[in-house]
Amino acid sequence: MQLDPKTIDSLVEEITKQVLAVLREQSSRSGPLQRAVDPMSPCSRCEEKGVQQLPKTIRDNVVRLGIPSDVRITAQDLARYIDHTLLKPDATYAQIAQLCEEARQYGFATVCVNPVNVQLCSQLVRGSGVGVCSVVGFPLGATPTRVKCYETQQALSDGATEIDMVINIGALKSKDYGSVREDIAAVVRTCHNSGAICKVIIEAALLTDDEKIKACQLAKEAGADYVKTSTGFGPGGATLHDVMLMRQTVGADMGIKAAGGIRTYQDAVAMLKAGATRIGASASVKIMEGARSES
Amino acid sequence: MSRIASYIDHTLVCADATPKQIVRLCQEACEHRFAAVAVNEVHVHLASRLLRGTGVSVACAIGFPLGGTSTWVKWYEARSALREGANELDMMIYLGALKDGCYDLVEHDLTAIVRLCHDYGARCKAILECALLTEDEKVRACRLAVAAGVDFVKTSTGYGPSGATVHDVALLRRVVPPAVGIKAAGGIRTYADAMVLIEAGATRLGISAQASLRILSEERQLMESL
Repeated sequence: MQLDPKTIDSLVEEITKQVLAVLREQSSRSGPLQRAVDPMSPCSRCEEKGVQQLPKTIRDNVVRLGIPSDVRITAQDLARYIDHTLLKPDATYAQIAQLCEEARQYGFATVCVNPVNVQLCSQLVRGSGVGVCSVVGFPLGATPTRVKCYETQQALSDGATEIDMVINIGALKSKDYGSVREDIAAVVRTCHNSGAICKVIIEAALLTDDEKIKACQLAKEAGADYVKTSTGFGPGGATLHDVMLMRQTVGADMGIKAAGGIRTYQDAVAMLKAGATRIGASASVKIMEGARSES
Repeated sequence: MSRIASYIDHTLVCADATPKQIVRLCQEACEHRFAAVAVNEVHVHLASRLLRGTGVSVACAIGFPLGGTSTWVKWYEARSALREGANELDMMIYLGALKDGCYDLVEHDLTAIVRLCHDYGARCKAILECALLTEDEKVRACRLAVAAGVDFVKTSTGYGPSGATVHDVALLRRVVPPAVGIKAAGGIRTYADAMVLIEAGATRLGISAQASLRILSEERQLMESL
């Protein structure tokens, strides 16, 4: 029998619901089962993932998502998840060249740089399989949509393969959701027209949980490829809580980039296990060294 | 009558500033006769509509705060802000090129924006981000800015590792000709901070919204006690 993915999804959903209902009923009668089925009671996996920090509603759903906690990530795998990042304003030619050299050596997903360095990077990583990621409206997100689009267009014609754009945070805070969505959608369209990937930075440290959820929904509606936690220039970086919340909001078919404050191999792996599919880090080489000494 | 208000760019350039906060910023700027409001580009249209005919300028941040966009993008961004009604642009210089000794790139980047500003009858401030520069680089950056024809040099974005210092303001004052203004910005929180910077040669102060109101009330208290 052939089933389309939608039907399978809905069947899985239905079966999960029924199984959980049966198990809950059983567990209310027999104590020992409780630990295994009640998503609210902490188990070793919860502790490992820091699930206790999450609000109740999210915890209920983490069970459904079933993030594999025992998957081993090899050093080589890990490199393909990392955007090797250098965004400080005084980055020199030599530092950018070194960044590209390291990216080629380790096989990172991309080098992530300011627009002014995109052209140089795309020459230096050509043919290596390493992409070039440029930031747009960075790090405040407070330029108008037309400026973000122009900036995107320029970065793409300089050779960028991925764009990390910052949303209009003030508009989100004012509940002007139409503007936020349109702003994202315009940049996404520009990216997709050139076959580039668009990541949407929500700067989670400035948002309430409700605003984070809303921002993720808007990014999804606008057709973005990834949502990204932080710029690295805000008041805080990526947290496990945010990554899990974002994963729960966008579902399985969107990427999540955790960025800001990820300095060790352990940090990186924790983010991936929480649901991230990309890591933005300037300490990538240190992270890789950590991965090698671990395995 | 406040003596310090006319030095102040009443500033709100945080990422999460809302239109409501901008309206208040503009009201306060009108009420206290500040030199300008300094805002991000998404808010220029609103601010310039609110401040039309009041004598308070609208200053917009360009390439802010990293200066990491190409000249093309800064130019497009600047033109967009000027068309929306900005009278002043605070642009971040191309810092990486300065560090690499590619001075012509830095000057070219500045010249493009300065010319555009002057075409629109607006003024251009060049932000040097002094906290990231050596003494030689500060002097060099000032000379390039002056050669490009800027109206002000500005110490910092407020997003760098530190803000305006008396030392930097005095250095900038020595290097640039008297016709070019000096804007001190970043970390100015008290009336005393503001006064020492003015004495050192600052002709404009970039102060975040809450601090500028506090500084005015400090000034008022001081005047009353005399």
